[in-house]
Amino acid sequence: MPIRPIALTAVALALATPAFAATPEEVLDTYADIAAANYADSLTTAQTLQTAVEALIADPSAETMNAARAAWLAARVPYQQTEVFRFGNAIVDDWEGKVNAWPLDEGLIDYVDASYGGPSDENALAALNVIANPTFILSGEEIDATTITPTLLEETLQEADGIEANVATGYHAIEFLLWGQDLNGHAPGAGDRPWTDYATGDDCTNGNCDRRADYLSAATDLLISDLDDMAQAWAEGGEARAELMADTDAGLSAILTGMGSLSYGETAGERMRLGVMLNDPEEEHSCFADNTHNDHYYNGVGIQNVYLGEYIRADGSLVSGPSLSDLVAETDAALDAEMQSKLKDAVMALSRIKHAAEAGFAYDQMLERGNDAGEALIMGGVNGLIDQTRSIERVIAALNLDGTAIEGSDSLDAPDAVFQ
Amino acid sequence: MTRHILAAALALTPLAALSAPSTGQIVQEHILPRFEALTETADILAQAAQDDCQPASAPLRAAYHDAFDAWISASHLRFGPTEVDDRAFALAFWPDSRGATPRVLSGLIAAEDPVAMDPEDYAEVSIAGRGFYALEALLFDDRFTGDDHAEYRCTLVQTITADIAQLSADIEQDWRDDYAEVITTPGPDAPYRSDEEALQELLRALSQGLQLTHDSRLGRPLGSFDQPRPMRAEARRSERSARHVRLSLAALRDLALYLAAEDDALAQRLGEQFDTALARLDALADPTFAGVADPQTRLKIEVLQQDVNAIRDTVQQELGPTLGVAAGFNALDGD
Repeated sequence: MPIRPIALTAVALALATPAFAATPEEVLDTYADIAAANYADSLTTAQTLQTAVEALIADPSAETMNAARAAWLAARVPYQQTEVFRFGNAIVDDWEGKVNAWPLDEGLIDYVDASYGGPSDENALAALNVIANPTFILSGEEIDATTITPTLLEETLQEADGIEANVATGYHAIEFLLWGQDLNGHAPGAGDRPWTDYATGDDCTNGNCDRRADYLSAATDLLISDLDDMAQAWAEGGEARAELMADTDAGLSAILTGMGSLSYGETAGERMRLGVMLNDPEEEHSCFADNTHNDHYYNGVGIQNVYLGEYIRADGSLVSGPSLSDLVAETDAALDAEMQSKLKDAVMALSRIKHAAEAGFAYDQMLERGNDAGEALIMGGVNGLIDQTRSIERVIAALNLDGTAIEGSDSLDAPDAVFQ
Repeated sequence: MTRHILAAALALTPLAALSAPSTGQIVQEHILPRFEALTETADILAQAAQDDCQPASAPLRAAYHDAFDAWISASHLRFGPTEVDDRAFALAFWPDSRGATPRVLSGLIAAEDPVAMDPEDYAEVSIAGRGFYALEALLFDDRFTGDDHAEYRCTLVQTITADIAQLSADIEQDWRDDYAEVITTPGPDAPYRSDEEALQELLRALSQGLQLTHDSRLGRPLGSFDQPRPMRAEARRSERSARHVRLSLAALRDLALYLAAEDDALAQRLGEQFDTALARLDALADPTFAGVADPQTRLKIEVLQQDVNAIRDTVQQELGPTLGVAAGFNALDGD
């Protein structure tokens, strides 16, 4: 029976070993490991989406359309958790607009309902419809879009005319191509694009099915290459990892800046509270697919992941290591307990929105004027996120990162206004 | 001679160098008077709309300008009572990059939605249809000042101004009844755990106010050199764009000097930086920043924007450390 003594020894060792203090370097390592795994998962789930999109284009049907939609929804689960890496890491923030820009004037890409309106004061290209127009004028120049390529999307159409709402690439462009506009207003139901929008020959609905398929294919290819770039940046020897490790204090500060900025200005502010205050279903983050409840929820989970130093991968395995939580506990155990409980409360509040949405109370309905239950649910999430931001600030002060928290962050140094 | 100067310096020094910023003083001298002025001018505005709701009414427009001035002078104080029930958002929804204000107003007017018959009901309406920017559209935007639905639009003006007056009164009352004490009495179980956290709130307000002026009030119309965006200037239809920059800088200057009380040299430098920016703004003489499209005027507006940025740097790098706090996260973080 050699096994038992060994096991006992291991237990004895574990018990005898004093809890070693987590070093800042180890905490940064764990954070980078989680980022690497999280972006790798975003990539593999996007590759699954790509396979499903190829199947839809090769063999258009209600089944292949639904399979592509399901793959898109699955791909959002790891990606939304990565958003906590965005603010605080300049390399992520500079890149993020390519894959997750929002909100978009979708009329740039494809046909829209008459109620959408035409070009607006803010955006002359709001109803450009590239799929229907092989050539068009952009900033006085004729553009040849007879072949729809990733380069056209990335270099010509994305943020065309300097307007952020001209989103030509990324998850939300793909979402629009899979679901179409959600014309249900405040009633339940997502976009209802027919699969025949990708059918060939006479079965094609709404015209230009081949160009629509080309667009969807190009946008998906681009998403893969962009995610691949970011997964590599966090892998061993990658640029994002190197930048994080260059300065320990700045690295810890980047973690907390990411947590605080995503909690407060971005998710609680622009994405959630603004929608409630405007009562506007178009303020939904995933308005075509009606997946907004998951967007917010997985943002909350991502914030909790990096504090606890734990991430559940898309294959179910756990990535974990010495965490910020360990580090804070050594300095101020009560503050660590406070931070953990605030994170837990926020995730719980966000999960309530998710539960209600999945049971049939759509996020659109929650946003409707006079819908008190919906407002209470969303504001519960907002308040949880704002509340945890205050504790994040206390953590920054407790770790003496006050100076670096302000500098070295793109989102704090050069932010756009919250309503843009 | 030398002795006199020295004596004078010694006499002055204790006052300047030893007085740490006092939250109580800032509440009494900087915050409460601003919200009091807002309540007063908003009441006058609501009354003016009752007396004459025509968009071209001179007394109504004058009251609009006075109340909007009062709001801009208080608008950096975005914490506590302004954030209850989305009051500040309802008073001032801007920037409106997706055109929500004209869309909401058009919808209400086309349907002659009865929600506008009562200010209390109107509190349910989208923030894009409430407050000063919606009122500006109804008084100054050609799309809303014609003959169609004139009677309904009149009601809308009266309701929106009454709503503004109520929101303003609620903010002031909460400050007087509750928040003035909350922010001046920190404690382990209180919203502010220490004086530092209260000061951090005020530093955040200063910092966020500067950021809004830099990024939105100046940055939005500036756009880029190739694509200036004069139509994005704040409240340009009532020619208030530059006025808002002036009012906000004056209010932020006042707050900055209170916060810098501990460090004479820093206070002086901040005062000079604000004065430089204010002087450049006056010299510009471009009320709506229409000059962003003219290379020479544009350069002057860019220099003004850099002035504001320089103040932000001083606040972040010197004032924050002097107070021993960082500005923390604010609502403009994110994108």
